[in-house]
Amino acid sequence: MSKELIRLTDCVMQFDDDIVLDHLNLYINDQEFLTLLGPSGCGKTTTLRIIGGFQKPTSGTIYFDGQEMNDVPPHMRKINTVFQRYALFPHLDVYENIAFGLRLKKTFSEEEIAKEVTEMLELVSLRGFESRKVNSLSGGQQQRVAIARALINRPQVLLLDEPLGALDLRLRKDMQNELKRIQQQLGITFIYVTHDQEEALAMSDTVVVMDQGRIQQIGTPEDIYNEPKNAFVADFIGESNILDGTMIEDYAVEFFGRRFKCVDKGFAPRESVDVVIRPEDIDIVDPSEGHLSGTVTSVTFKGVHYDIIVDFKGFKWLIQTTDFYPVDAIIGIRLNPEDIHIMKKSAYSGAFGDYSSYSAEYDEISDPEEPSEDDADEE
Amino acid sequence: MRRTLKLCTILTFAFLYIPILVLVVASFNAGHDIAQFQGFTLYNYGELFEDKFLLLLLRNSFIMAIVSAVLATAIGTLAAIGIQAMAPRVRSAVMSVTNIPLTNPDIVTGVSLALLFSFVGLLLKRQDAMLGFATLLIAHVTFNLPYVILSVLPKLRQMDPSLRDAALDLGCRPYQAFFKVTIFEILPGIISGFIMAFTMSLDDFVISYFVYGPKFITLPVEIYTQTKKPLHPKIYALFTLMFFAMLLLMIIMNLLQSRDEKRRRNRIFPLGAR
Amino acid sequence: MRNKLAAAPYLLWMFIFILAPLAVVAYFAFTDRSGAFTLSNLASLQNYTPIFVTSVVLALIAALICLIIAYPVAYFMALADPFIQRLLMMLVMLPMCMSFLLRTMALVALLDDTGIINSFLGNLGIAPLPLTRNNAAVVLGMVYNFLPYMILPLYTVMEKIDPRLIEAAQDLGCDSRQTFTKVILPLSKSGIISGFTMVFVPAVSTFYISNKLGGTSTVLIGDVIESQFKTAYNPNLGAAMALGLMVLVLLCIFLMNHFTDDDDEEVITL
Repeated sequence: MSKELIRLTDCVMQFDDDIVLDHLNLYINDQEFLTLLGPSGCGKTTTLRIIGGFQKPTSGTIYFDGQEMNDVPPHMRKINTVFQRYALFPHLDVYENIAFGLRLKKTFSEEEIAKEVTEMLELVSLRGFESRKVNSLSGGQQQRVAIARALINRPQVLLLDEPLGALDLRLRKDMQNELKRIQQQLGITFIYVTHDQEEALAMSDTVVVMDQGRIQQIGTPEDIYNEPKNAFVADFIGESNILDGTMIEDYAVEFFGRRFKCVDKGFAPRESVDVVIRPEDIDIVDPSEGHLSGTVTSVTFKGVHYDIIVDFKGFKWLIQTTDFYPVDAIIGIRLNPEDIHIMKKSAYSGAFGDYSSYSAEYDEISDPEEPSEDDADEE
Repeated sequence: MRRTLKLCTILTFAFLYIPILVLVVASFNAGHDIAQFQGFTLYNYGELFEDKFLLLLLRNSFIMAIVSAVLATAIGTLAAIGIQAMAPRVRSAVMSVTNIPLTNPDIVTGVSLALLFSFVGLLLKRQDAMLGFATLLIAHVTFNLPYVILSVLPKLRQMDPSLRDAALDLGCRPYQAFFKVTIFEILPGIISGFIMAFTMSLDDFVISYFVYGPKFITLPVEIYTQTKKPLHPKIYALFTLMFFAMLLLMIIMNLLQSRDEKRRRNRIFPLGAR
Repeated sequence: MRNKLAAAPYLLWMFIFILAPLAVVAYFAFTDRSGAFTLSNLASLQNYTPIFVTSVVLALIAALICLIIAYPVAYFMALADPFIQRLLMMLVMLPMCMSFLLRTMALVALLDDTGIINSFLGNLGIAPLPLTRNNAAVVLGMVYNFLPYMILPLYTVMEKIDPRLIEAAQDLGCDSRQTFTKVILPLSKSGIISGFTMVFVPAVSTFYISNKLGGTSTVLIGDVIESQFKTAYNPNLGAAMALGLMVLVLLCIFLMNHFTDDDDEEVITL
């Protein structure tokens, strides 16, 4: 792809005894749409604030275009930010909010400013809203103003901190497409922070999964989904059944006392591993034809499919199917080699039970406001 | 239950306002005895505007109130910003000192400043010549500062910190961020701090009484001297005028405040938080 | 952060004009006229014990009466609709910024032997009542002057009580008295404490009210301190008394905060 633009080396962020970032290393390419994804308090917002210049790392260095910029204040960086709850200036109207950055430069005439603001309003489809008060706008409109205001300075990088968090589902989907379009149209780097894995997968070129101040995996959305590196990633991205297994040799794994073909290799002989099987990859067949057979213990209708929980000798699996199976039905399953994902054991092994559906419930609890990592100076 | 509460409230406000009413009526009284109404007249108001000395003192009081309120507002607003940025432990230490002029009896504040000035006068061998406009101003700024700080601080706390970040992000230097963004967010606090400082200073007697000098006398101090003998009704006229001026000021302040609250409410609702 | 520097002018001011004067008070209290160290000023405070006691007793009574009067008023205000709340709030604050000297004079005019009330009673054929020149009149003067300082903090805390808490209490079976004693009263405790403080402190240190409304025997600490600086001119004794008053006030505030084992932050509202 294109050249490297931002690099963070060995960044540590510490508030008193609280380590928010633990030796973070990351580079970001020019024109890339990169998402920092993780649960509340994983350090993603802190990473963004370090890039934006609002916080200095306790140790470590940040480079922009090869130049160290630890001590460059925010107003000297070619980076702009769309803030979590927009942070629009309530004392200014839409036009003046967007013109704010240009007016500071003092080199623009009134006509030039008008031209730029109009262009930005067009970019975010808000023509005609110039003289509206910002607090008379809907959430989605405020969001667009925030984007236009950040982009008018022609930054090389746009930082977006959970920008869609306060919007409802429908609007969120629309804005996802909109953001992707704007990014491609302008050809600049977007660094996006979210805890919503669907959003991350849908928009990004690169996803960085973070937890506890550490990067868990970096990759394309497909990589992250199909080849999770550890149980945390497997669990956080989508839904998964995580099992204990033993690698017998290259391309062969054993679990449930049976040997399965798989597509992974390069493990030590008899190495203990985590096996991930996505609930939508499992084929349901007649009990007599299956690799395994089990009993349906619960059925939930989800619209497009059913979530069914199946008990295999005391282990519960989540399976997604478009066909209906009643509770107590006995079913068989088949697993194709490419649906079996093998991961090295990690600190997260065994942390998530037989199956898990991390995202949905967890998000709702932590949705409204991520307890910001700079709480340290709050009483 | 509700009716009893209402009755209590009405009686209480009657209690608070009957003496004020007595003074207002006395200002229109043709006779000199406050207890005996001897007919309506505006004569006392004429007398008031003839009294050059009283008008001078009124002017003095206003000068003192404005200068001290401006100074206290400037120093206090800066102080609030600084205090907000302090580490919690330092902040609470500074706040306890800030509260001293509020919790200390006024007479102690007055006496302590008077002693400070006479102590410094002793060192400079100038004794009472110290007392005058400057000492009065220092005293007024000192007791005004806590009011300003305590009305600006909550506004700073309520402010979304990312507004300041946004200003910096868009190219503001820190001082520009203050004048272009922060100040608008905390303006209601600054204004109410200023008004509070102004009224406190205008009306202060106890502290002024200990630190004024004969070269610069304020109205309350003079009124105190005059209350030692029967008061001339023109003083009541002055009181009446100031009462209605203050009433007007309060109404304006209230309107400003309700506008601010409406703005705040509007800001919460579009996000669907409540 | 560089922001902290903004407080520098204030910190300087604070040290010179808040803390240093207190040190000077202590200096004067511990020295005599020639500047030599002495304990005699503080020792002579004990001669004034009865005056200290009278001041504290009268101020406590005044604060208690203020609380009894102000509580229902504040409660009514908190329940009233927003417009009435604003209006009443304004009416509470208005007297606070009017000359208390003149308002106290008006009170004298009402209560005097030949004052408005007594002449009214005289017209009804009732002999003049001794309404002034006694301790009761002093307490009345204190209540009148400082009542707003009780209403405001009480109203501020009550207004913040979430109405859903009251509904929840009713839902769980509280009648209106229980709602009051079990929910509203405990939640308004911090307001009671700060209101009590804000009335007690100026009341215990007043010199004007006792001067105008008290009898010849009513002498309060404030009167004595004032006379040391304005007539007797003994600043050393005056400083010692001011120090005593300050310690007394701090002690009272401390006790009040302690006995109510309140760990809420103190509400100072003006």
